[in-house]
Amino acid sequence: MNNKKHVFAEDSFFISRRKFMAIGAAFIAVMAIPVGWFASKVAKRNDYIKARSAGLYKDDAIAKLRVSHANPAVEKYYKEFGGQPLGHMSHDLLHTHFVDRTKLNS
Amino acid sequence: MHHNSHDMRPIQKHPLNVRVFHYILLLSFLPLAATGLLLFFKPLSQEGMQLTYDIHIIAGVVLSLDALAFTVIAFDRVVLFIARVFSLSERDVKWFMVLGGYPQKFLLGKKVPVPPMNKYNSGQKLFGACVLIGGTLLILSGLVLWLVPHVAPRDLVWLLGQIHLVAGLILTAFLPVHLFLAVYRFDDFKAMMVHGNVPYHDAAEYTPLWVEQEIVPVTANQQRNK
Repeated sequence: MNNKKHVFAEDSFFISRRKFMAIGAAFIAVMAIPVGWFASKVAKRNDYIKARSAGLYKDDAIAKLRVSHANPAVEKYYKEFGGQPLGHMSHDLLHTHFVDRTKLNS
Repeated sequence: MHHNSHDMRPIQKHPLNVRVFHYILLLSFLPLAATGLLLFFKPLSQEGMQLTYDIHIIAGVVLSLDALAFTVIAFDRVVLFIARVFSLSERDVKWFMVLGGYPQKFLLGKKVPVPPMNKYNSGQKLFGACVLIGGTLLILSGLVLWLVPHVAPRDLVWLLGQIHLVAGLILTAFLPVHLFLAVYRFDDFKAMMVHGNVPYHDAAEYTPLWVEQEIVPVTANQQRNK
């Protein structure tokens, strides 16, 4: 690296060791801050989802009716109108039908 | 200061590792700036924009690796650069009041007194600070936007996108000024692009404080390092 073609160069100790270490440490610290900040952001990113699921489980635990097929309205529908679950009538009425529109844009 | 106006004795200004770092920075930043502007204005077709994006990513990875490698391999140069760039004094205020005498020289053809400068003048120091801070922000935000936008919180990704845009635009705006003045200071240009050395008379004219305070004969350093 030092090709000796120059006659003068920077004095290698124009900055004191103490100052060198202070600046270097500050630089490393500044570079490390976003890592910690981002890691904590990522770690906390699902907190609100966890809180919501905890709430839903709590609601579930105290609910009188805990499964949808025990819903009296649903039971009444099948008994008086829809027939069997997964039957033809229910399939036609309750299932959503999709149309492939992905090719329309091209 | 007493000096021969054609004293050609060479002073090493940019060591080899700095020049290699600067070359890779140059070769990665130019395509980054160009493709960054294209990605912002989106003038091309779908395929063209995809190619632009791919070039932006590859150049971004090259620049990030360059910065990381230089920080690790030449940590002393990084610390010295930070020390120089963030050292402020009254001279910097006075320098900015006349803008280094450049507008007067270019527009009016007259020479105004300029305060003596260290290795970098105040304008270079401002640019250096912008490159250090802006470059770091660009690299970090770019990595998140490229690799983990789906993992990071949505608002954070948006904020990083804005930071990436603003920092990129500021550094890109600096580019023409940097290129023009780099070629204007031709001795310094050759030092950075070719051999690393500036002639004594050029250093003494533009960077008198550097020559006075930090420059020693090579033999003195060799003796001290033994």
